[in-house]
Amino acid sequence: MIEVEHLDFFYGKAQALHGVSLKVQAKQVTAFIGPSGCGKSTLLRCFNRMNDLIEGTRIGGGSIRIQGVDIYDPSVDVIALRRQVGMVFQKSNPFPKSIYQNISYGLELQGVRDKSRLDAVVEKSLRGAALWDEVKDRLHTSALGLSGGQQQRLCIARAIAVEPAVILMDEPCSALDPIATSKVEELIQVLKKDFTIVIVTHSMQQAGRCSDRTAFFYLGKLIEMDATQKIFTKPAHQQTEDYITGRFG
Amino acid sequence: MQSGEQNQALSSALKGKTRLRVFGLTFDDVMRYFFGGNATVAVVVLALILIFLLKEGAGFFGQNHTNIRVYRKAGLEYVDIMRAPLEEFSSLTRSLNDVRLKRFRTLLAQGKDVAAANEALTPFDDFANAFGAAASEARGVVSDTTEVASAVKTRAQVSADREEEKAMLLHSGKAAEAAALKVDEVNYEAEIKMITGTAPVWKAASLEMQEKLGAALVVARAADWSKGDKDLAKVLEKTERFISDLPKGESRMAAWRWDEPVPFSRAVTAFLFGREWLTASFWQDWYGILPLLVGSLVVSLIAMVIAVPFAIAAAIYISEVATPGEKAVIKPYIEFISAIPSVVLGFFGVAVLGTALRSLSQVEWLHWIPGFPMTERLNALTAGCLLAFTSIPTIFSLAEDALSNVPKHFKEASFALGATRFQTLVRVLIPASLSGIISAVLLGFGRVIGETMVVLLCAGNRIAIPDFTEGLSALYQPVHTMTGIIAQEMGEVAQGSIHYRALFMVGIILFTVSLLINFLAQRVVRKYRISIG
Amino acid sequence: MNASPNSHPFTTPVTGAVRIERIAFNAFRMATYSILVAATLIFGIIFVKGSETIFRREFPFINVTFLTGSPETLHVFEHDGQKHELGDKAFRAYLESHGNPQVADENYVYSAGGIFPCIVGTFFLVVGSMAIALFVGISAAVFLNEYSRGGPLVEMLRLAILNLAGVPSIVFGLFGFGLFVLFAPVFGPAPDPSHFSLSLGFTYLNFSGWGVSLLSGWFTLAFMVLPVVITASEEALKAVPKGFRDGSLALGATQWEAIRTNVLPYALPGILTSSILGIARVAGETAPIMFTAAYVVRDRLPWQVEHASEVLFQGVMALPYHIYVVSSKIPQNVYTERVQFGTAFVFLFLVLCIALSSVILRSRMRARYRW
Ligand SMILES: Nc1ncnc2c1ncn2[C@@H]1O[C@H](COP(=O)(O)OP(=O)(O)OP(=O)(O)O)[C@@H](O)[C@H]1O
Ligand SMILES: [Mg+2]
Repeated sequence: MIEVEHLDFFYGKAQALHGVSLKVQAKQVTAFIGPSGCGKSTLLRCFNRMNDLIEGTRIGGGSIRIQGVDIYDPSVDVIALRRQVGMVFQKSNPFPKSIYQNISYGLELQGVRDKSRLDAVVEKSLRGAALWDEVKDRLHTSALGLSGGQQQRLCIARAIAVEPAVILMDEPCSALDPIATSKVEELIQVLKKDFTIVIVTHSMQQAGRCSDRTAFFYLGKLIEMDATQKIFTKPAHQQTEDYITGRFG
Repeated sequence: MQSGEQNQALSSALKGKTRLRVFGLTFDDVMRYFFGGNATVAVVVLALILIFLLKEGAGFFGQNHTNIRVYRKAGLEYVDIMRAPLEEFSSLTRSLNDVRLKRFRTLLAQGKDVAAANEALTPFDDFANAFGAAASEARGVVSDTTEVASAVKTRAQVSADREEEKAMLLHSGKAAEAAALKVDEVNYEAEIKMITGTAPVWKAASLEMQEKLGAALVVARAADWSKGDKDLAKVLEKTERFISDLPKGESRMAAWRWDEPVPFSRAVTAFLFGREWLTASFWQDWYGILPLLVGSLVVSLIAMVIAVPFAIAAAIYISEVATPGEKAVIKPYIEFISAIPSVVLGFFGVAVLGTALRSLSQVEWLHWIPGFPMTERLNALTAGCLLAFTSIPTIFSLAEDALSNVPKHFKEASFALGATRFQTLVRVLIPASLSGIISAVLLGFGRVIGETMVVLLCAGNRIAIPDFTEGLSALYQPVHTMTGIIAQEMGEVAQGSIHYRALFMVGIILFTVSLLINFLAQRVVRKYRISIG
Repeated sequence: MNASPNSHPFTTPVTGAVRIERIAFNAFRMATYSILVAATLIFGIIFVKGSETIFRREFPFINVTFLTGSPETLHVFEHDGQKHELGDKAFRAYLESHGNPQVADENYVYSAGGIFPCIVGTFFLVVGSMAIALFVGISAAVFLNEYSRGGPLVEMLRLAILNLAGVPSIVFGLFGFGLFVLFAPVFGPAPDPSHFSLSLGFTYLNFSGWGVSLLSGWFTLAFMVLPVVITASEEALKAVPKGFRDGSLALGATQWEAIRTNVLPYALPGILTSSILGIARVAGETAPIMFTAAYVVRDRLPWQVEHASEVLFQGVMALPYHIYVVSSKIPQNVYTERVQFGTAFVFLFLVLCIALSSVILRSRMRARYRW
């Protein structure tokens, strides 16, 4: 699904990624782990070119292909790309609009005005994000009135409403309490039937619980990537083992 | 795995040129350029200000050059050389009058009545009369030549106007009418002979003056009544110098040539360093910016001397000493002051403050202050006080920002060493925020020097460099300012005239000064950033 | 050390340092309070003296003529053993009704009647110039805060904005006079021989200037407050969380869509309230409109025109300029004082209300928009 080859990435003069190569399989959950500052978010944001918005960033070498299309090719429309590669942020960021408008926003951008279709998609997305039952009576109240966990699930619902092929999640649970976290994790398990998911996490348990494959990064390099099972039981590299056993530092 | 069909759909979606493009630009690009265009308005306006000030003002130097050339060719310059010693002489007679007044007062104070006092001053008066009469011949010569020269100048102006009219007619294709228009060429050489021809007469008059004055001096020196009077001695000494300097003027007259070219730089220096701003005069107009510049500076300095201590003290108080409650009230209140329109402050000066200050200066027990009581209600001090008020909010907010932007750990480190709040303030906070404070003061100065309505209404509007020899009382003299002169005269001048252009030149100077102050303030702040991080 | 029984090392010893601190802090306090006192005095004197003109003891308690009339010449004279103070119209009517007697009257221009045309003119000036300034200023701020990526060009823009803020208002007046009054283009059916003109095919563009007019005043004032508006707008835009932008972009919004739907709506209240300070500035400045838009007197109100297009090309009376005129061009005495303080009162009151509403709205906003 996503193929990264020898990717070098720079913030101005500082290189954040060094020759990263990996493959993300379709309809699986791939987890990125690694110590802070190792470039997980950077790589994730390369997948939907959110890094384009930051001043002075550039790809130094290598390529990223999604379904065989080089997404940094000039012929690729960033907007179209972002519709196919959705993103959920670390800090939940619902718009200060109603719950309904939050979900319908993405479709309205695509020019969908048909009320019945919007209604259907809103319901479907909220159900998909396991939020429907909690909010169905107050769809038209402000999204800012939801709890933190609900807000994050709303953001997920917002992302799946536009039916992307891939959903990127950058530490989606880091600001949530354990119960909200487990709800999001359950959700991820459900979503992977329909979507390809890449998730950045700091929690070993989370990576272990909900991902199929795990990639370990260190200082901007991919150290190893394998089935999650294998990474957590028989890592090939000493560094990986140190990290997941908490002997790191 | 995904079906091939879906595969295709995704990759074609990625490649899809879904968005409408006009000239290769998407709507998003168009918006971007639209906003960018609006952002450049600031640069454009700045450039336009410069361009239009220059467009209207640049012609000034050419016109001023012509103005000065006519001054020379028509012989006005020559007459002014003659007149210069007479003016000096007038000031000598004035000081002599002062001496008499002082003596008169002492006599009265000694208990004499008016008649007796006048009686006692008779020998002095005889001397003064002889002194004054010495110049009568010379005055006659100057006033004759003055008439001749101004007649020449008038004719020169008429012919210049005709010339212009003719050019206009030719330009609009009315050749016949243009030809019919007769332009009298002024024969300067012939005219000037009439003026320079008076040189021998002047010389005689000047000699006579030297002799008479010399004689009067001898009498005065020998007489009893002049003994021990320091003021008089000073005047006499000056007179002596005056006598010996008189021939110098003659030699300048002899060296003067009507056809000596006036260098163009003279038009510039006459503006930048000219000590006179004299317009609509029957004799000769001068556009020297010095009196206005000095006026602006004096008023601004007074304002800053008042505003800086108050504003900075208040900034320190609010950021370091005040209780939160005080802070919540005082800060907005001071910032609120900046909303007072300057014209209202100006009106306040005219209606209330000017009178109040003057009455204050007339209070008996304040007379020890130099220059009190003031003679004028509206003067540099009145304007300065009010201007201080306009700049206090600016300086206060910027300085307060600078103080509260000092990183907290600086302060904590100092407290941890057992320093008092005041010691922390002086040793840590002020040094750390010094450049911020300096730039606040600079920006406050910029505001003050560019302020118009207050000075226009309250500064007294007398175009003269204050007499700094009088010490502090120079501050209570009325002045005129660069901003004030533009506001006052712009409405009355003919478009395109030299006076009009001179006002634009003043505007250019103001613009430059404001850019310079801004530049300095930014430099100071930038330096500070580097030193802290 | 002091050996009294309850002494411990942490008592405050009154040392020199502490004494100096007390003196210094008290000096700072005095300086601060004297600023406040001075300001209060200025407000107080103007309000007290002005309210004599504005308020009345009887119903309707407000001097309606002063607020709704036009300036007139005041005639002060004695007739039939009585002292009269009448405005121009009333004076003539009085003479008429008394058989046109010869009276020795002192007259003072602008000292009777009211200041309605000035209030209206200032209102027109403020609305037009703020509309222009807000349009350009918000757009510029959107570019600087949303689109620009730094670099020397953007640095230059910011520098220009900073410098523009420091340009004296009288220089704006000269600039407005040079550009808008004398040079700005107007459409005309035929080329104007005395000015530069451009043929557009169907009509001509004559660079003959807009004259002393509302339009000239609008642009001059708009450019003067532009830095204020830009700074205010940028602050408001910065206050909108980055997540809103990222959120919409990640959903496939173009940048403009993200700004339109998820940035501007939340920044706009902030922009508007902060820009109210700009309104106070525009309403208060005299120097820029002296030669570009203000008339000393004008009989007709701005809407009393024959063609709609004339609305833009007419000069107006304005409160600040009127204050300048009445405080510098007429003598100071009991009769003229009324109009002087009255006008100052009305003007100061309006401007301070504007400024106050900005302060209040801003603190309200801070409380309401917390995301
Ligand atoms: N906007 C930016 N400008 C410059 N450098 C950046 C920027 N964002 C990240 N970096 C640098 O790039 C490197 C990788 O950052 P990244 O955010 O990808 O780390 P991360 O693995 O996501 O860390 P964390 O777990 O803390 O989120 C870091 O060294 C960081 O300092
Ligand atoms: Mg991260």
